Amino acid sequence: MEYFVNLLLIGVGAALIHNFVFYYFVGLCPFLGVSKRIDMAFGMGLAVTFVISIASTLSWLLTYYVLRPGAPVSSWIWSTLGGGSGEVNLTILSYLVYIFAIASSVQFVEMYVRKFFPPLYKSFGIFLPLITTNCAILFACLEIMKNVVGVEPAAMWGLDQALVLSLGGGVGFTIAIVIMAGIREELELSEIPEPMRGPGIVFIVAGILALAFMGFAGVDSALARLFKAGMS
Amino acid sequence: MADDRAVEEPRQPAAEGVALSEPPKGGALSQAWLVLVMATFFGAALAGVEHKLGPVIAMNKLNETILQVPSLVPGAVETTPDMESAHGKNVFRALDENGRLVGWVVQGRGQGFADRIEVLIGLDASVATITGLFVLDQKETPGLGDNITTRAFRDRFAGIGTDVTLVAQNTTTNREAGVIQALSGATISSSAVCTIVNQTVNEVKEPLAEAARAASVVRGDR
Amino acid sequence: MAMNGPTATERFVNGILPENPVYRQLLGLCPTLAVTAAMKPALTMAGAVLFVLVCANVLVSLIRGLLKPHLRILVFTLTIATFVTIADRLLAAYLYSMSKALGPYVPLIIVNCIIISRCEICSSKQGVVTAIADAFGVAFGYALALLSIATVREILGRGTWLDIPVMPLTQGDYGWSVMILSPGAFLVMGLLLGLWNWVEKRRARGRLGASAPGA
Repeated sequence: MEYFVNLLLIGVGAALIHNFVFYYFVGLCPFLGVSKRIDMAFGMGLAVTFVISIASTLSWLLTYYVLRPGAPVSSWIWSTLGGGSGEVNLTILSYLVYIFAIASSVQFVEMYVRKFFPPLYKSFGIFLPLITTNCAILFACLEIMKNVVGVEPAAMWGLDQALVLSLGGGVGFTIAIVIMAGIREELELSEIPEPMRGPGIVFIVAGILALAFMGFAGVDSALARLFKAGMS
Repeated sequence: MADDRAVEEPRQPAAEGVALSEPPKGGALSQAWLVLVMATFFGAALAGVEHKLGPVIAMNKLNETILQVPSLVPGAVETTPDMESAHGKNVFRALDENGRLVGWVVQGRGQGFADRIEVLIGLDASVATITGLFVLDQKETPGLGDNITTRAFRDRFAGIGTDVTLVAQNTTTNREAGVIQALSGATISSSAVCTIVNQTVNEVKEPLAEAARAASVVRGDR
Repeated sequence: MAMNGPTATERFVNGILPENPVYRQLLGLCPTLAVTAAMKPALTMAGAVLFVLVCANVLVSLIRGLLKPHLRILVFTLTIATFVTIADRLLAAYLYSMSKALGPYVPLIIVNCIIISRCEICSSKQGVVTAIADAFGVAFGYALALLSIATVREILGRGTWLDIPVMPLTQGDYGWSVMILSPGAFLVMGLLLGLWNWVEKRRARGRLGASAPGA
C-alpha cells in the first residue's frame, strides 16, 4: 500500500504540481506550435506520452545496467575483457546514449504504429518525427538519471517509478496543451492588440495558466495524509 | 499543419526533409564511415575530458560537505569520509585536533515541496543530540521555501535530542518536544526538512552509536 | 541560401537582431524561460550555448564536404551531444554552484533547436570563417534575449541586478516572488515579445513613411 501511494505521488507530482510545461518549461516548441486546434493538440499529447514512456523505459534500463558506476553489464564486459574488477563508470556517455535512445525509439514507434495501427498513425503519426527534438523526453530521461546515478541503493528508482514519472509527465503535457488549444480556439474570435498577436498572447495565457497550476501545490502531501489516515 | 510549422520555425523553411528520402547508395560502410570515425574520435575526446575533469568534479562534491563540517559539529577540525559505519549511507567522521571522534555528519535526502532536498546533519559522537543542520541542495519556492537555507531556520534544529520525532508547527520552537517553528508560508518545506532529519537520524542512530563505542574502546587501549 | 550565401559580417549582424533566435525565430525557449530568474545563471547559460554553438559550427563546417545528406542529422546530433557533455563537465569542474543551479538545462542544450538549425542552415553549407561569425552572432543574439528577460525578472522579482541591490527604499528586503516563479517567466516573455513586435512595426512604418513622399 505504501508502495502504491509513493507511485501515485510521483505520478500526480509530475502531471499537475510540477507540470512539465508550466513548471519546468520543457516541451514549449510543440506547446506553441501545435496548440491551435484541440484535436491536433490531443494527438500531439498522445504521441508525446507514448514516446516518453518508451524512451524512459529504455533509458532506465541503459542507465541501470550499463551506464551507472558499477553497472552489472559494463562491469561484466570489462572483467571478461581482462580489465580487472574495478568499478566501470560510463556516465559521461549518458547524454549521447539518451539522445540516440530517443531518436531510435521515435523511429521504432513510427514504423510500428504505421504498420499495425493505421488509424492511430493518421491521428498522430505526423507529429512523431518532431518529437525527437522535444526537450520533454530528454528531460524525463535526465530526471530518471538523477534518481539512479549517485543515489544510495535503497533510494534508487526502479523501472516502476521511472515509468510512472514519465507517464505522469506525458499526461501533464497533454492536459497543458489541450487546455491551451481550447483557449486559443476562443482567442481566434477576440480582438488582441496587434503586437501581441500570435506567440505573445500565448505566453501571457500560459503565464496565467501557470499561476493557476500553482494552486495544485501541496496536493501530494494532502493525498499522502489522506491515504495514511485511510490505512490506519 | 503548414501554418503550425510556420509559428514554430518562421524563418527556416528548408530546415527539414531536404534530402531525407534519398535512397542510400553503395555499401553500408561507405555510407557510414564518417559517423563511425566521428564516434571513435568523440569517444576518445570524452574519455580524455572525464580523465582530466572527473577527479576535480568528485573533489567539488566532497568539498561541499567537508567545508561545512566545522560549523555543524562543534570542535571539529578534520573530516574523514566513512562509508562503512552506517551500511552505505554517506557518513563523515568529525575529528578534533587530536584525531579524537567528536561527532558525525550524515547526508540525508528526501522529497521537498518542489524537488529533492539534500541536507547535512551534524550529530555528536554518541548520536544523542543534533548539533547542526545544513541544506546542500534544494529548489524550493524562491522567497518562501528557500528560506530553509537561512541560519535562523537551521539553528532551530541544533540541540535537539535524537530520541524525539521532529514536527514543524506554526508555534515557537520547543526543543524538548521536538517542535520546530515552521517558516511562514512554507509549512510544507519545513515539514519536509523535519521528515528527512527524522528518517536519516533513525537509520544511522544505532550503527553510528555502535561505531562510536568501538572507536572509544580502541582509543582506551592505546 | 545558395552556395555563396550571406557573408561572414552579414551572418554575424543578422544573428543578433534581425534574426534573433528567441524573439524572431522562437527557438530554444525551454532554457530561455527556465534559467532567467536571475542574471548569473542566465550569463552562464549564454556562455555554455556560445561554447557549444562555436564548436559545433566549426566542426560541421570543416567536415561539410564529407556529409551524406541522409546521415547529416545524425552527425549534427552526435557532434552537439558531445560538445554539450564537455560543456557540462567543464561547468561541474570549474563553476560547481552554477552547474547545480542550472541542473538539467545544460544537457537540454542538446535538443535546443537553435544549434541544430545553425548547423543545417549555415555551417553545413559555408566555410569556417562564416560559420564562426554566424555562431558568435547567433549566440550573442541569444545572450541578448536571455539577459533582457533575466534583467526584468531579477529586478522586479528580487530587487537586485547581478546580486547588487537596485530597488530604492526597500533596504534589501524586497520580493515579488511571482516574477521569479514560472508564471513570471511566461508573462515577461510574452510582454517583451509584444514590445519587440511593436518596436519593429513602428520602425517599419517609419521607413515606409520616409520613402513614400519620395516615391
